[in-house]
Amino acid sequence: MSAALLAVSIYWDLPILLVVVSLVYAATRHDRWDKILSEGFGWGARIALFLFGIGLTLFLLSTYL
Amino acid sequence: MAPHPNSEATTVELPPVKLDPLAALLSFLIPGLGQVYQGRVGKGLLFFCGLYLLFFYGMWMGQWRNVWLPDATTLPDTGVFGKKFEGVLKSVGYRPQFLGQVWIGTAAWPAIYQYIKYDSTKDEGPVFGKFQRVPTEEQLNKLQRNSSKRWDLGWVYTVIAGVLNLLVIYDALAGPMFRDPPAAAGFDDAEVAGDAKLNADPPAADAMPLPMPHPLPETLPTTALLNPLGDIP
Repeated sequence: MSAALLAVSIYWDLPILLVVVSLVYAATRHDRWDKILSEGFGWGARIALFLFGIGLTLFLLSTYL
Repeated sequence: MAPHPNSEATTVELPPVKLDPLAALLSFLIPGLGQVYQGRVGKGLLFFCGLYLLFFYGMWMGQWRNVWLPDATTLPDTGVFGKKFEGVLKSVGYRPQFLGQVWIGTAAWPAIYQYIKYDSTKDEGPVFGKFQRVPTEEQLNKLQRNSSKRWDLGWVYTVIAGVLNLLVIYDALAGPMFRDPPAAAGFDDAEVAGDAKLNADPPAADAMPLPMPHPLPETLPTTALLNPLGDIP
């Protein structure tokens, strides 16, 4: 793993944001824990995928353009 | 495609939504307090821990210098569509982030107190000292110059926490977006006695009234029996 990834970076702060936003948003839509957890996981996965896609796009643009 | 013949059988008549303004007020003061007041303790704790974690983590990222409302009396006028802002509106115009942060409730009240008691001749405010007090221009420049991007990202976390609490307030006021039938929700029972109790004691048949499916007509066409969905030739 590259040293750049281990360095102090704003990216290390993202998991807290992602987990809290997913769980709280899911909990405002349902009352049952099984639904809260499953929908929270779904939102978390979608947000993570979206952020990863943006990150990858920016990385490719900055590297090859 | 025609609706499934059994679709109406699973429809459950939910009682009308009862608004709970007191719970909404409590959730505004402290995230999740309204849900605890309503007996939804687990969800209340989730909101409390999650939103306060996000808000104070954001403040920590910003070196505790990103929640404030500036005194704008000596600053140039601001406005929209030619209308000048005065007083608090003018201050919010200089710090619009506070419009999102303020919805976290009492956790952002020190900023309001500091705004009301602001004295430019002093370095600290009463009671709260420098906590949520507007930084001087010199301090802001120093933070911008010497800090990483983390400092700037911190206020975003605090704003997200405040805005998320709007959803929590609405949940306390009118319940979740998708409501379950009263007996199927089982939220409080599951919390008090554990999920096992809920699974072991299924609700009585009369606890969750389901409308009866439509009876079959006495004379049913043969095609309907062979093709209940009605969309296959």
